[in-house]
Amino acid sequence: MAETAAKSRSLKRPATPSNTRKLKKPGFFNAKSGFDMPFFVIVLVLVVVGLIVMFSASYPSAYYYKGNSYAYFLPQLRSVIIGIGAMIVVSFVDYRQLRRFAYVVFAISVVLLIAVLIVPSEGDVKRWMTIGIQFQPSEIAKFATILILACWTSTHSESMDKFKEGVLLPGVFVAVTCALLMLEPHYSCIAIILILTMVMLFLSGVKGIYFIVGIGAVAALFAILYSTGALAGYLEKKFSGWGTALTYINDDQWQNQTWQTRNSLYAIGSGGLLGLGPGQSRQKHLFLPEPQNDFIFAIVCEELGFIGALVILLAFAYLVYRGIRVCMRAPDIFGRLLGTGLCAQIGLQVILNVLVITDCLPNTGISFPFFSYGGTSMIMLLMQMGVVLSITRSARAEKM
Amino acid sequence: MKKLGAKDKIQKRTWIILALIVGLGFITIIGKLFIVQVVQGEELSTKALDQQLKDTSIGAKRGTIYDCNGKVIAKSATVWKLALEPTYFEDDEQREYVAKGIADILDTDYEKIFEKTKKNVYYVDIKSNIENDVKDELVEFKKEVTEKYLKLANVIYLIEDYKRYYPYGTFASSVIGFTGSDGQGLAGLEYQYDEVLSGTPGRVLTAVDGTGKTEMPYEYEYKVDAINGYNLVLTIDETVQRIMEKYLKQGLIDNAVYNRGAAIMMNVKTGGIIGMAVEEGFDANDPFKLVSEAKKEEIAALPEDEQEAETSKALSEQWRNKAVSDTYYPGSVFKIITSAMALEEGAITLDSQFTCTGAYSPYEGVNPIPCHNTAGHGTQTFPQALCNSCNPAFMMIGQKVGAEKFWEYYKAFGYSEKTGIDLPGEADDIFFSQDGSMGPVDLAVSSFGQGFSITPIQMITAVASVVNGGNLMQPYLVSQIVDDDGNIISATEPTVKRQVVSKEVSEELCKILEENAVSGAAKNGYVTGYRVGGKTGTSQRLADINGDGIQDYIASFCGFAPADDPQYIMLVYYDSPQGDSYYGSTVAAPVFAKIMTEVLPYLGVEAQYTEEELANMSTTAGAYTGVSVSDAKTAVINDGFAPVVYGNGDVVLSQIPAGGATIPQDGTVVLFTDENAEKEMVKVPDLVGMSIAEANRSAALFNLNVSISGSASSSNCISYSQDIEADTEVKPGTVITVSFCETGVAD
Repeated sequence: MAETAAKSRSLKRPATPSNTRKLKKPGFFNAKSGFDMPFFVIVLVLVVVGLIVMFSASYPSAYYYKGNSYAYFLPQLRSVIIGIGAMIVVSFVDYRQLRRFAYVVFAISVVLLIAVLIVPSEGDVKRWMTIGIQFQPSEIAKFATILILACWTSTHSESMDKFKEGVLLPGVFVAVTCALLMLEPHYSCIAIILILTMVMLFLSGVKGIYFIVGIGAVAALFAILYSTGALAGYLEKKFSGWGTALTYINDDQWQNQTWQTRNSLYAIGSGGLLGLGPGQSRQKHLFLPEPQNDFIFAIVCEELGFIGALVILLAFAYLVYRGIRVCMRAPDIFGRLLGTGLCAQIGLQVILNVLVITDCLPNTGISFPFFSYGGTSMIMLLMQMGVVLSITRSARAEKM
Repeated sequence: MKKLGAKDKIQKRTWIILALIVGLGFITIIGKLFIVQVVQGEELSTKALDQQLKDTSIGAKRGTIYDCNGKVIAKSATVWKLALEPTYFEDDEQREYVAKGIADILDTDYEKIFEKTKKNVYYVDIKSNIENDVKDELVEFKKEVTEKYLKLANVIYLIEDYKRYYPYGTFASSVIGFTGSDGQGLAGLEYQYDEVLSGTPGRVLTAVDGTGKTEMPYEYEYKVDAINGYNLVLTIDETVQRIMEKYLKQGLIDNAVYNRGAAIMMNVKTGGIIGMAVEEGFDANDPFKLVSEAKKEEIAALPEDEQEAETSKALSEQWRNKAVSDTYYPGSVFKIITSAMALEEGAITLDSQFTCTGAYSPYEGVNPIPCHNTAGHGTQTFPQALCNSCNPAFMMIGQKVGAEKFWEYYKAFGYSEKTGIDLPGEADDIFFSQDGSMGPVDLAVSSFGQGFSITPIQMITAVASVVNGGNLMQPYLVSQIVDDDGNIISATEPTVKRQVVSKEVSEELCKILEENAVSGAAKNGYVTGYRVGGKTGTSQRLADINGDGIQDYIASFCGFAPADDPQYIMLVYYDSPQGDSYYGSTVAAPVFAKIMTEVLPYLGVEAQYTEEELANMSTTAGAYTGVSVSDAKTAVINDGFAPVVYGNGDVVLSQIPAGGATIPQDGTVVLFTDENAEKEMVKVPDLVGMSIAEANRSAALFNLNVSISGSASSSNCISYSQDIEADTEVKPGTVITVSFCETGVAD
């Protein structure tokens, strides 16, 4: 797997037991203080709830298409077990070690993003590749971007208000990643990376005027392209049916393109305030395509209702809040920015995902963290949470 | 310090990021979810259910319509409905195969069915009202399809449904109406009582998955049984209706009536309609077929692009119930009403006298309005004036009543409102003004029923109130609504709207109207052996409807029986007779008499013969067989008949009419004395257009008997029909019934 040398090493070491050794190698492992228990508990709860929900949502299509109701559940269970193990292990690794590997991780990410374009793939979209197991390099790209930006800004923290150090040079990393993602294409991942980049550069002290000019320039470019009609066909193809899921219900052309979003809305609406009850979704019975993936939260809304969805979203909101607040107490800028970036990623994916399933954004493939089916995503996210936990150890130690 | 400064900056900006992500971001998505789930939830879940549930409807059996004796007039029988579930089709080859097979069996358009197979839905209707034999073919085809393409096992659907049958076809079709292709009532009682008759269709909701399969891991099936419609029991008597239709139609042909005719028979005491005939009626089993041959030819002559519009116009014309939806000038029948109001108000008495000089000016300077008898009726008492149907006398009576009272009674008799009969499309009257104001000429012509239009049902209801003791009834057709188990859901109680005239006035007018039927202008409405009263009416139509440049008329007759205690009342009316005569007395009255002659005995009204009638009565022939010819002859003569012997034998072998049969007094009894003689036949002579004496004479020439029917109480009547047609071969002695009517009455 992808996460670079840093990760694989950290995985190998503790394989020879045990806690006593950590104390002997304080440079690499860090257990001076315990990690933030509330954050850890929320992650565990969300992962377990997500796993159950994923099973509920996936068994009809698993049975129908794969002949086995557990076809999605079992691989996901395996990923969750590996992921939680990895999270705990990583939480013991001193996050500062990652700084040394930031460029290596980024390089590997770029290599994988190139590789995925080269290896043969099914269909038009080149997002997955198989090295032993099937995985998505874009999941690694998100982490690599956060890591390298945290590394860069902590190194250049005093000159981040300058254009060159604050915008231009970090922009090169992001531009390379985004350009490669554009070729897959994977727009939602680009969107997340761009927003995360803005979040991290903003935190690191880049002048506000650059954001205004930058956002303005993009908007202007878009407006010009749009008004000249250069984007017309492209947009129609990309954003087909966006926002019209319920309008073009009897139109043959839009019927199929908006099918998934429309059925997502049907599912969410059917849930009402209190939901149809756990396991009682009707839309998952082959109406909503791939209910285990990006649209899983629609099934959650259908089964648990607005109240259930609200509780889950509040848990995510608290996770993000808690994670960022605790990481802010980290002793160094690298830790602060790394922790904030990783937590913000969770929050952003939740927000963008719900906007997609409610037809506020085009359907471009943003998974719902800890809930959506997918091994790479699950393991990566949990290891990232492990990194956050590791930061919380230092933060707590700092506080003491 | 600088480092700390950077950290402080991070702290500050962290809050902004937290506010944006956790605050703005999460609040936005929570708000959006609230809108979708709670605000739009119901609407969206309804749409979701639409696709999650397969809705199959179960037809409800439409209620049966019975006549007052429980005879079935309209009923529903099982047919089949064909539907497809096109979502199972996988490719066009399968679609073509199924569409072709179905199109062949149903003999319909292949393309249309093929289009339907392309829809990605669970249910699409193909055809309703499929009979059992066709259904069997479809079942066979379904098997073939299943053998060929296993996946299409459920693609063809046959659903039990019901179709409406009218066992008697054209019978009372204007009243009963008919139903459309989906079983909904489109006209008549079928329309009026559609909700009662149609019941509630049931449905089965079955949960399906996204591929339309019903094998769901969870049970979700919801079934609502169909509730059959209620049945109607009518006040109409099938036998009476049939008799009415028979003679109404005969009159229609005899008098070359251009614009159909109608007859209504009502129970005067309850307002229940016993019969309501409109001729020509259409076939309720095939209502979209034009009945009128003349109309068909007219339309065929039109340019092609106008034919469709004209046909649909003609069809709605044909479906219109002339008895309630058409208005007409009531003419002299309305004199009953004028009389009733004048007597009730005391404007006239039975002794009031009126002088008719053949025309009358309601006030000076106005052109005199003529009487139908332009020679004038001279001086008459009120009863005589009514029996003469004298227009000047009635103009005078109208003046005595006055416009204000006239309008009051017009309203009281229910002309200004709908009668409320349980039929759709009841027309409104057309009076001079909405408030009853009218000029002296208006009043004058109104007094004898011209100048304002009313419906036949209004007319008969008003006359019924005059003869039943003064109560204006609400006419009705449905006496009971019952369910399949015979429980009465609702029963109609006779409704007295108001008392319009006193019992005394009612009784006096009954007497005068009886006199009118015996010896007045209504003589042709007389029914031998029954005490009937009646009034003729001949009114001008405003428009020359067939465009031949000759004024058209409406001939009507309204009569009741028995006159001493009226039970039944009937109005017969013909719109635009084009035959030799257009008078109510010659066109409508005989039809009334013929119908009543058959209907009254059927209804159990006891005959009360006058002495004169008893004298004219037929008597019973004795049995004269088995004795010698001379003994038989003596016996025949002693019984008052004329003997005629056929054959050379000595002993009478058989006789015609048979022993016990009724034959007219002075009739002929033929005695057969050998077997060859029994085979002899005679030709029936033409007995139409003769007086009673002439008819008897020419029948006697052929050794036939004549039985007299209709108005034959005076010497100036003429036969207009015979029951066995001329030139028919019959055995000697056969009794031929000949119908007579009065001549010389012109109203």
